[in-house]
Amino acid sequence: MLPKFDVLTDEQINKIHKNSLKILQEIGIEFSYDPAIEVFKKHGQRVEGHRVFLDPDFVEEMVEKAPAQFTLHARNPEHNLICGGENIIYMPGYGAPFVYDADGGKRDATMADYDNFVKLAGASKNMHMTGGTVVEPTDVEDEIRHLKMAYSHIINSDKCFMGSSSGYEQAMDSIKLTAVLHGGMDVIKEKPALICLVNSVTPLKYDDRMLGGLMAYAETGQPMVIASLVMAGSTGPATMAGALSLQNAEVLAGITLTQCINPGTPVVYGSTSAVTDMSTGSLSIGNPENALFTSASAQFSRFYGVPCRGGGGLTDAKTVDAQAGYESMMVLFAASTTGVNFVLHTAGILQYYMAMSYEKFMVDDEIAGMVLRYLKGFDCDSDEKMAYDVIEKVGPGGHFLTQKHTRKNFKTEFFRPALSDRQSFDGWSKDSIDTNQRAKLKWQEVLASYTPPELDPAVKEKVEAFIEKRSKELLK
Amino acid sequence: MNPIFEEIKDAIVDGDEDLAIELAEKVVAEKIDPVQAVQLGFIKGIEEVGAAWTSGEAFLPDVMMAADAMKAGMDVLEEVLAAGEGEGAYEDKGKIVLGTVEGDIHDIGKNIVGALLTSAGFKVYDIGIDQKAEDFVAKADEVGAKIIAASSLLTTTMKSQKVLVEYLDAQNLRSKYKIIIGGGPTSAKWGEDIGADGWAETADEAVELCKQLM
Repeated sequence: MLPKFDVLTDEQINKIHKNSLKILQEIGIEFSYDPAIEVFKKHGQRVEGHRVFLDPDFVEEMVEKAPAQFTLHARNPEHNLICGGENIIYMPGYGAPFVYDADGGKRDATMADYDNFVKLAGASKNMHMTGGTVVEPTDVEDEIRHLKMAYSHIINSDKCFMGSSSGYEQAMDSIKLTAVLHGGMDVIKEKPALICLVNSVTPLKYDDRMLGGLMAYAETGQPMVIASLVMAGSTGPATMAGALSLQNAEVLAGITLTQCINPGTPVVYGSTSAVTDMSTGSLSIGNPENALFTSASAQFSRFYGVPCRGGGGLTDAKTVDAQAGYESMMVLFAASTTGVNFVLHTAGILQYYMAMSYEKFMVDDEIAGMVLRYLKGFDCDSDEKMAYDVIEKVGPGGHFLTQKHTRKNFKTEFFRPALSDRQSFDGWSKDSIDTNQRAKLKWQEVLASYTPPELDPAVKEKVEAFIEKRSKELLK
Repeated sequence: MNPIFEEIKDAIVDGDEDLAIELAEKVVAEKIDPVQAVQLGFIKGIEEVGAAWTSGEAFLPDVMMAADAMKAGMDVLEEVLAAGEGEGAYEDKGKIVLGTVEGDIHDIGKNIVGALLTSAGFKVYDIGIDQKAEDFVAKADEVGAKIIAASSLLTTTMKSQKVLVEYLDAQNLRSKYKIIIGGGPTSAKWGEDIGADGWAETADEAVELCKQLM
């Protein structure tokens, strides 16, 4: 793995860290959920109504308790993932309510789309897990959506996945269902198997729903991403340092709460901070500021000794065009080369998280493959890799195409594109189709040839029984 | 022309809320014609900002601060205007009640819509975030609004927009108001599905929609 580069000096880190602690101590942060307020009171923090004022030493002491890395367990142990350290985890986009088609069409996302994106992630060698809420399946009732989504991840792949954080009850359902899959609550307490996303509401708030989710995951020892999305210029200051201080304060407060509830609970420091488009007020994510926030967050995670979530194949484009490509590459590359460990939204996102696109998924999958290769860097560990002998053998003026050494090494040393066109002009012009159209053919081909890994029928039965029972209760 | 009108216009263009209040208080204290103050001062200023916005020269902070300054100044003048003082009469382009639906505490998008509606000459009553259907309707009834605008940023709170329409139906008030909706996960189709009178994706489109519905 390549060494990670920094975007902040130690002095800048210190200044922002102090600024964040001052925000938490003097301005305070609002937790709307009463059980969370009780936790802070019990830990001797000053509370006024729903606003909590956190003591700086207490915050540092609590954040210290969070582990530097943890293992997330999959039903197939080959897909277990270490989150933290030098590792990087890629997965599909999260939470988009719409699907944009190759021809520019827009429609509500459905459960069928959900299954398809899980399968595409299952099939991809670049996606390490199948993610969570890969789209919002708007054709499924709210009450049972979380169960249907979890089921899709369970049967369509054997990789790790994410659970619901939408309130205490739904979160608990996802955790219990995962426990059924893994053989009991005791098993997943020992070996965490479900991770969720908890977001603050910037500036300086956490809502009931997310806090309920946070408490369920903390109580059961399941990991979670604690993330803040500061829209610099609207939900946060227009200065980079100010917005980062605000984000950092929110994430630290969330992490503090998890460690109060259950010390040692695995947490991931999360950032999706970006800027506001000052003409329209909309979020804008495909830009250098987002890349900088992402890299700075990776650096802060190293500073606090916790894994980091950030970045992704992020863009403001509405279709798979050049903008979608260059913006996505910038943000994913920045995240990956500066030490982000958990990359939600690696593949599929268009228009600042509003939509998923099958074609964009394939483009991002290609970008992910390229970045993963880049991260491997140079291998200088053996004479074979240094290739002196073969250089000597060919000598001046020869070529390497017919050397055994070449045939043996190029497949592992070179990135092999799955989507990019490297043909001559004549070769390309036979079909003369662009990336968008090639991606469309590609995902259809991948889906058609994908066979989900088998799930033990006895376990499948238990999983289905759990979902059926809960669905009946919830739809009453 | 009284030079204070030009000063009011400049205060709006600069988005200077304190100065707008101060000048409005002066209008009242010195018994300057309030209708002229509105038309030659406040409206002139907001129109100038609106034009700059349309041409892409002004940005959100410019428009939103101008709208805030206008609202603050107009509040000061409300009493003398209502009393019919001054030459002619001032009338807003229509009253709109605006809020974020129950269960949702997202504020910003709604505030942007409010500012742009204000700058387009509408009288906006922002009831805030996490508001129940009955709160929207109570305010609309109180101020005599014609349009109720409901925002939602979450897929989980979109259904509160539906609840609002259903509430009006149940109260036999549906025909009295136009309901418009917006927010990230909403769509034209969702608007049709729940029986809203309109949907807009952006704040600019919301202004156009309100002009059509008034």
